[in-house]
Amino acid sequence: MLEQYFPILILIGIAAFLSLAFMLASKLLGPKRPSTAKLQPYESGMDPLGEAKDRYSVSFYIVAMEFIVFDLEIIFIYPWAVRYQELGIGTFWAMMVFIAILTLGLFYTLKKGSIDFDLRRVPQNRPDIKP
Amino acid sequence: MEILNDMLLYLPAIIITVAGLIVMMVDAYTKNATMIYTVSVASLILALAASVYGLFGPTVDIFYGMATTGGTAAFGTALVVAATLFVVVLSREYLTSINHNFAEVYTLILFGTVGMIVLATANDLVTVFMGLETMSIALYVLAGIVRDEKTGIEAALKYFLLGSFATGFFLYGIALLYGATGTTRLADIGLYADAGLIYWAGVGLLLVGFFFKVSVVPFHMWTPDVYEGAPTTITAYMATAAKTAAFVSLILILERALPLAVEQWSGVLVVIAILTMILGNIVAMVQNNVKRMLAYSSIAHAGYVLVGLAAGTAAGYSAVLYYLLAYTLMNIGAFGVVAYYERHKGMQFNSVDQYAGMGYKQPFMAVLLGIFLFSLAGIPPFAGFIGKYQVFAAAIQADLIGLAIVGVLASVAGVYYYLRVLVFLYMKEGTEEIELTQAGFPYRSVLLLLALLTIYFGVLPGGLSELLAGFHQGTLYSGTPLP
Amino acid sequence: MAELTFSLIVMGISLFMLLNSAAVAVYAERRIAAFIQNRVGPNRVGPFGLLQPIADVLKLILKEDVTPTLGNKALHTIAPMLPVFTALITIAVIPFGEGIYITDINVGVLYLLAVASLGVYGVTLAGWASNSKYSLLGGLRAAAQMLSYELPMGVAVASVVLFAASLSVVEIVDSQEVWWNIIRNPLGFIIFTVAAFAEANRTPFDLVEAEQELVGGFHTEYSSMKFGMFFLAEYMHVVIASMLITTFFLGGYHLPFAGLWLPEMSPVWKGILDVSVFVAKTGFFVFFFIWVRWTIPRFKYNQLMKLGWEKMLPLAILNFVVIAGAILLYNEFF
Repeated sequence: MLEQYFPILILIGIAAFLSLAFMLASKLLGPKRPSTAKLQPYESGMDPLGEAKDRYSVSFYIVAMEFIVFDLEIIFIYPWAVRYQELGIGTFWAMMVFIAILTLGLFYTLKKGSIDFDLRRVPQNRPDIKP
Repeated sequence: MEILNDMLLYLPAIIITVAGLIVMMVDAYTKNATMIYTVSVASLILALAASVYGLFGPTVDIFYGMATTGGTAAFGTALVVAATLFVVVLSREYLTSINHNFAEVYTLILFGTVGMIVLATANDLVTVFMGLETMSIALYVLAGIVRDEKTGIEAALKYFLLGSFATGFFLYGIALLYGATGTTRLADIGLYADAGLIYWAGVGLLLVGFFFKVSVVPFHMWTPDVYEGAPTTITAYMATAAKTAAFVSLILILERALPLAVEQWSGVLVVIAILTMILGNIVAMVQNNVKRMLAYSSIAHAGYVLVGLAAGTAAGYSAVLYYLLAYTLMNIGAFGVVAYYERHKGMQFNSVDQYAGMGYKQPFMAVLLGIFLFSLAGIPPFAGFIGKYQVFAAAIQADLIGLAIVGVLASVAGVYYYLRVLVFLYMKEGTEEIELTQAGFPYRSVLLLLALLTIYFGVLPGGLSELLAGFHQGTLYSGTPLP
Repeated sequence: MAELTFSLIVMGISLFMLLNSAAVAVYAERRIAAFIQNRVGPNRVGPFGLLQPIADVLKLILKEDVTPTLGNKALHTIAPMLPVFTALITIAVIPFGEGIYITDINVGVLYLLAVASLGVYGVTLAGWASNSKYSLLGGLRAAAQMLSYELPMGVAVASVVLFAASLSVVEIVDSQEVWWNIIRNPLGFIIFTVAAFAEANRTPFDLVEAEQELVGGFHTEYSSMKFGMFFLAEYMHVVIASMLITTFFLGGYHLPFAGLWLPEMSPVWKGILDVSVFVAKTGFFVFFFIWVRWTIPRFKYNQLMKLGWEKMLPLAILNFVVIAGAILLYNEFF
């Protein structure tokens, strides 16, 4: 069982070695003539303005969070997809309900503007309910 | 189809889940406020009917033993759903008045309630965890729904950080118990009287997780800040529904999973109950902010509940259930009236001094607050008194006389700070000119209903007590210990 | 032991082929681009410019390696190694012919997805470690894009798993001996292909390095072979993506409807035939990648995210659900 993973282990070793080797090749063979201007971050020829590690749009975080939610859904689907033909109709409907709820969640987040990158900021379309 | 039958027995949770999804979609697509509110209330009424019906149903394990119905679980479900119903009605008017009536609130309340139902009906540690998390995540967000106030953000962040920490404890406890016993099913764990150090560590961590959620000393640190920062009706929701669910689940766990270890955990609960009652009551005395006072008082009340649990007998469990009912009614009522006062001056308006002289401006509300506070103080003829009486009686029957004495003394001390609010309401001259507007009809009728129920269960506890006592007759697990 | 020796031989050959295929793909890209744009393309180094990639690599190795000031040196160094590393270890579970694979694990599909999602780290770290605004934006965009397209890709692969009822890649290929998945599951094929383009950061989804706005994107601050490794990894990912499309949807090494008509053959001939079929299909898709790059313009970033979340993901889920139901019905009635 586990010996099937042995070639993967070897492959990982080889891959790590190869990528290190590429890296070292240029380290060893390339010239080293650093200068202040050369080491500055590139900003289209101007001196860099401010810090690069600035705050950035919250949308990126939201996308990351949504990814986690739906990636878990998919991971949950896989084992079911393998066995569902033997497990019968009950599991099928259970999974359909699961997928349906998550899909509703997807539509909800989309409608709430979670991926609206085209606006300067995420819209404040919160429905302040008026009585 | 067995599963369909199980779903029928699990109807309250399913109704509320569907309603939550509908509310979510309505929020996203039409933003129709009336529809959101109607769907929420209608589903809660339906679920309440279903869960009251379930109260008289059989006690069976459903979903392959993952959940249970009838008895304690059904009572917990009914109580949680009822509390949610009251909170939703109160929230609409209150949140509108402080301009935070977001549709998300209703979605989150409904999903949180589903979590609570799952928690209160759990028959497996995995289900317990699932319910606890569903509930907690909804509550974290709800606590911070007033996100333009610093206190609101503080509440949400504090609750979230400490809550996740407690969840870690809880999960670790489950893992250790599973390691020690090889199962997560409550009844199967109950076959073990002692499975070595890992077992005890698991039990300990599990209890710590619960102690955090029901905020007993020394795991109460988050409570005052969170209760103060959250919108008042949401505070009522957290203080009643969430606590009820957690306590009901604790009863199920103690009764089913740890019946043979009763001596050990009873000792722990006695110590914690004494600490909680003393600290909760003493600190509540010096609070000037009514919401903080109620927060500390809710800590103290968790202590009284623990008294009943510490007894570890059938009488103790049914007394706890009765106490939870009384506590839910009077606490939602008290927070409801506080919310009513608050909305005239914004969320910071809950200092006791500011209540001076308000008693004569809207006598109806002040009288209701009086009823709820008297009941919280444990003065007859209100439900709070019967609850305390039953809890202490159960403790005395179980030979925990010292604990009962501490409890009685603590609750006598508690009378001081409840009455202090009333003194300010009626016997002090107000400094500020403030016009109180009439609350809406649904708001008033819910508060009136709560007051009437508080009086009813204080005067005529008989029928319900018998029903509750019936839950535990002969159901106490008494398996033979495994080697 | 014999098994291990065989898989080591396969590993050696496939690694050699993969590394070379990246070079070939670079050359092919430049020649095909020239052909499409009616130019000549590289034709000086060696016959038909065939030695151009070697010259490129040599040049890159001999250039100075610069890490910007205030950048995170360790991360800056690790970042370009990651995509190369992940591209190389992907081939572990891909069957090139009947019985010709490095290893066959029963969770091969999960392995592929896991390795594929590691690729995001490379670009994100590169963007973060460079201490440059262009890099940071490029890295963030890349991360968000790759995350978004991993979901439809995952669901599309799940719909493939439905047919094979196994997570082993070898069995997935076997399940297509008669009916290729592209016929049984055309929508899944389209979704997977589009997502593969996005995962490999290829046009029309190469916003990560949109020259007009972001200079070089996440590799703005990379020079010498560090840059070369990103470059190499990009083309290896193209080749890998082609292999995956072939494996999951075009029957891997099977000829069309091979199960119906292909006669028994000796293992050697079968092996040669299988590998040639596989290489031909992969080659076609590499050409397809290049063809698309020089034909279709680039998306806007908000369009890209909208396409991924609003169209592809719901469509992929719908496709999955429909196929799951259809298989159940088929089993019920036939």
